[in-house]
Amino acid sequence: METSFLRPNPSSGVPIYLQLIEQVKHAIETGALRAGEQLPGIRPLAERLVINPNTVAKAYRELEHDGVIELRHGAGAFVSADARPRQMKENVRAGQAIVAAAIGRLRARGLGEEEIRRLFEAQLAGLPRKGERSA
Amino acid sequence: MPDAIIATTNLRKTYGHVEALRGLSLQVQPGSLCGFLGRNGAGKTTTLKILLGMIRPTSGEARVLGRRVSDSVASVEIRRDVAFVGEDKPLFDYMTVQDVVRFTAGFYPRWRQDLEQRYLTTFGLSPRTKVKTLSRGMRAGLALLLALCRDARLLILDEPTSGLDPDMTEQVLQALVRHVASEEMTVFFSSHHIAEVEQIADRVVIIDRGRTIVAAALDDLRAQYRRIHFVFDDDAPAPVFRAKGVERMYRDGRVLTVLASAGAEGIVEEGRTLRPVSVDVVPVSLKEIFLESSGVEG
Amino acid sequence: MLWYKAWLETRWRFLIGLAVLMGFACGAVFDYPVFVRLNASVSAIDASGHFGRLIREAVETQRTYRGFIWFQWYRQNLVQMWTILAVLLGSGGLMAASSGGALFALSMPVSRARLAGIRAATALLELLVLALIPSLLIPLLSPAVGEHYGLGDTAVHSVSLFLAGSLFFSLAFLLSAVFDDFWRPMLIACAVALSQTLIGALAGLPFSEMLRVMSAESYFRTGQVAWVGLGLAVTTGLLMLYAAVAIIERRDF
Repeated sequence: METSFLRPNPSSGVPIYLQLIEQVKHAIETGALRAGEQLPGIRPLAERLVINPNTVAKAYRELEHDGVIELRHGAGAFVSADARPRQMKENVRAGQAIVAAAIGRLRARGLGEEEIRRLFEAQLAGLPRKGERSA
Repeated sequence: MPDAIIATTNLRKTYGHVEALRGLSLQVQPGSLCGFLGRNGAGKTTTLKILLGMIRPTSGEARVLGRRVSDSVASVEIRRDVAFVGEDKPLFDYMTVQDVVRFTAGFYPRWRQDLEQRYLTTFGLSPRTKVKTLSRGMRAGLALLLALCRDARLLILDEPTSGLDPDMTEQVLQALVRHVASEEMTVFFSSHHIAEVEQIADRVVIIDRGRTIVAAALDDLRAQYRRIHFVFDDDAPAPVFRAKGVERMYRDGRVLTVLASAGAEGIVEEGRTLRPVSVDVVPVSLKEIFLESSGVEG
Repeated sequence: MLWYKAWLETRWRFLIGLAVLMGFACGAVFDYPVFVRLNASVSAIDASGHFGRLIREAVETQRTYRGFIWFQWYRQNLVQMWTILAVLLGSGGLMAASSGGALFALSMPVSRARLAGIRAATALLELLVLALIPSLLIPLLSPAVGEHYGLGDTAVHSVSLFLAGSLFFSLAFLLSAVFDDFWRPMLIACAVALSQTLIGALAGLPFSEMLRVMSAESYFRTGQVAWVGLGLAVTTGLLMLYAAVAIIERRDF
């Protein structure tokens, strides 16, 4: 299981633990991780990905908080059995549609791929209100 | 709050006219994988050598594992629990791999034979090779082996991956992560490879010109540091922000850029009162934080 | 392991020195018959002046086998070569490991005094062996040229050389604590040593007193061991070693 995790990119604007959370959610999405299945241990995963164990721990804690996984004391981390992953799957599908529509509209305004990407990143990294970016 | 594994207070070191350290204070907590960043000549190696009792500070205090570094008896005790790997991977060139392992093991009663075997194999070290004929990567592997097998509580490394190929670099970083996770070790390492520090460290200390500039958890830095771009219709103003957290400000024509170490929201609020055409907030990488904090004296 | 390390650091200087000295010791013994023959065919030397006197003294001294050995071995060959070895072994102590060995040793849980002390002790033991073993070849081999040389004489001369000459070792060791390179301590100590032994011997200058003590000249001539001279040399040497360790303990690496 550890081997199917991708190396997080430490230099991207996204914190490593968030990248891990995304990967776990995506793995559940695609069925690589199923309900009730065990996730890699914190230490082995940290070692495999060569990242700080605290980072893995933080990601797991957030996933547990979101109900995506369960941390069973002494036994490890397991994918939650309940319906939320499926809920997430639907959310992601809906999200995909929203993003596709938004990108379509931005393209129609003449915005290029890089600009669109910057808009999204800035929005995710920063604050609620933003104007459009000029040169 | 547990006792710091490393704590320096106002360290000063003067060589003739040159002030290598000008009141350096830092702390490293147990269990941390702490990166130590600074330009060449900022005082990193001097600091590390002081911690190991190789250099005497001109003034100030440093404690490692609670013991005072300047006390020569205490310093010997410190080295029973601390492993050091210097930048040039110092070893006895005239000895064989086997000799140097036996030499080191002789000082550490808790020597880990299992790890010794494992790392001899991992790094491809054969016992009868003379140390001076080892390649750079193998030398680094041996130095790391000697550090990790002694079951130390603290590992201090000066540029552990410098000059190593990607494969060896990977092995070194992986070994560090493995040991911090499983052996309750603390690692304090200086590095020029910021990406590596971002990858494995949980805390970072940045020094410049003999003083600590930044000391924080990496997660906090990522969460707090922001670069804010205000674009104006006319030439950008040069405001004085009341909000705290402004590290630097640059004006370039119609763009005002603010580097904030905290409180980005407050700064944006204040900035909006100047009626910019647009406001952009982007995250700041560790590399940028490093480049901004060393250099021009702030 | 610290002793083994010190051995590895000094091993070649010691072994090569031992081989060379043993060779010269054999040479001294087997030179004797040649020397006797040469002497017989030369009539009384009629040289005048200072050097003339020196030459006549030398000839006079070497009329006996004991005198010959003393003059050739204990006053020249052994003293000169052994002193160079003493300086060589004293140079580049902790710091010779300028490639990093010093930093490695210093990162071990061992006091600097112990590191330096063991290094000095190892070298001094080697120097004692270098003074004794080649010299022992002489009583061993003398029968082969039909002569006899006493073990007592061997012991006194060898030990006197060691005790007095270790001063030069200590000087080199002290200089090594101050200078980081190998050459400066060696050259300075060599210069001092040579001025004491070689030049002093040639010119008959006052400070050849050192040479007299090292070769145990008063014992040779009168049977009187130069206790004062030896005591002074040993004390000075120990003081220098003490100073060297003090410097090593305080300096930065």
